[in-house]
Amino acid sequence: MRSGWLQRVGAGLAMAAGLLAADFDWTLPKGFPRPVVPAENPMSAARVELGRYLFYEKRISGNGTQSCGSCHRQEFAFTDGRARAEGSTGQLHPRSSMSLVNVAYAVRLTWANATLDSLEEQALIPMLGEAPVELGLKGHEAEFLGALRGDARYRRMFAAAFAGESDAVTLANVCQAIAAFERSIVSMRSPYDRYRWGGDAGAISDAAKRGELLFFSSEHAGCFRCHGGWNFSGAVRFAGGNAGGTAGEVDPRGGFFNTGVAQYAAPNRGLYEQTQRAEDMGKFRAPSLRNVALTAPYMHDGSLATLGDVIDHYAAGGRFADPNKSRILHGFTVTAEEKRDLIEFLKSLTDEEMVHDARWTDPWK
Amino acid sequence: MAAAGLLLAQDNAPTVEVTGAVKQALTLSADDLAKMPRAKVHASNNGIEIVYEGVWLHDVLVKAGAAQGSELRGKALASYVLASAQDGYQVVFSLAELDPAFVENQILLADTADGRPLFGEQGRFRLVASKDKPGARSLRMLTKLEVVQVRK
Repeated sequence: MRSGWLQRVGAGLAMAAGLLAADFDWTLPKGFPRPVVPAENPMSAARVELGRYLFYEKRISGNGTQSCGSCHRQEFAFTDGRARAEGSTGQLHPRSSMSLVNVAYAVRLTWANATLDSLEEQALIPMLGEAPVELGLKGHEAEFLGALRGDARYRRMFAAAFAGESDAVTLANVCQAIAAFERSIVSMRSPYDRYRWGGDAGAISDAAKRGELLFFSSEHAGCFRCHGGWNFSGAVRFAGGNAGGTAGEVDPRGGFFNTGVAQYAAPNRGLYEQTQRAEDMGKFRAPSLRNVALTAPYMHDGSLATLGDVIDHYAAGGRFADPNKSRILHGFTVTAEEKRDLIEFLKSLTDEEMVHDARWTDPWK
Repeated sequence: MAAAGLLLAQDNAPTVEVTGAVKQALTLSADDLAKMPRAKVHASNNGIEIVYEGVWLHDVLVKAGAAQGSELRGKALASYVLASAQDGYQVVFSLAELDPAFVENQILLADTADGRPLFGEQGRFRLVASKDKPGARSLRMLTKLEVVQVRK
């Protein structure tokens, strides 16, 4: 049995967490599930707002030139419009910047990591990573935290977001606030959402409706087999779901596919880089296709410039022969009209409100 | 079938054919299904809760005179239902697994979701195999059910 004071502390912490949770409105459309939120980093309006300032804070890079928002730009659905991201020192990342939209629902994070599922942990990689250098903060952490402590606005915001902590301005709390902000970026307001879930039969064009049938037909394009469900992605995790919040039992190495889009070479060999298992060669995560019209160029290496190029790639069953290519890639015949229909459908997944939503804009502009 | 044809087929009074080893072949419209005993299945699309309504596939088979209940024995047990979708996709259920006298695994022939007629990628009719782990046999765009008797 716990002692009385410990019970009171526990009850107090639970109440604080409850208040923080109650202090955040996801504004989800009716029927959509809430994301899973780690108990150690409850959502609150104050924490998300601090995260927004930090996400766009350029002092977070070693030379003060870049923020998280440099490679995750709202107008591009939080990608950067480049084939490969460029770090603060000019170093090119081997892979393309991934969208952060609905990242709270992702079972796994980044292009090719079978174990990373914490946004809080992930936030450290661009900050401190050296291969490649992204933000280049390593060695400048104390200077950065000192700058935050010296800023009256941040002192107020950290105190509000991490109430009761004597020194709230820590790198761990920076990561928590940025993760909370990223978790808040949810998108379910596309024309297709209004058509599919909102009862608005006229929300998308007939061309998009035809494209929907191609997308969801395994006898045609069959795109849904990797980009399925309401998030047009692999498995999602959500509050109240099975198996710890996911839609079901999740294979930690599931949801990653070799699509034959490249002749895979180090350091871009997909899951193989982490596992060194031959069967993981060239396997990358299937990202959500929400807002895909905004996230060109495509694939892990940005090697396909347009949605038309992507359809051609999959219609051909992959650009390159590869012994490890997913058997899901069957190739298909697509006419010019069907290709236009598929593209119209993919465009109907764009959430224009998300692109302009003031909750996620750069507060420094 | 091309996408334009798939969409057109949904607009033109769609039906489900029930054929093969049955006493009475059927062509069922949404109106026909509305007059049969109705059933509901609760399902989840990655956290979005959906209530499908329609008719148990067992009741459709009984209406068509396929072997169910006491008739489902001997050679009839080597029979299956081939379900076909508008786009050519097909799945199979053994006749026995559609009979609640054999197994509690009722498959719904659904025509509405959350009170609205099915549409779009689901087609006007679909199957809901709620006890299957993957969704692959919850066939969408259903157009035909053929009862096939392997042993004559």
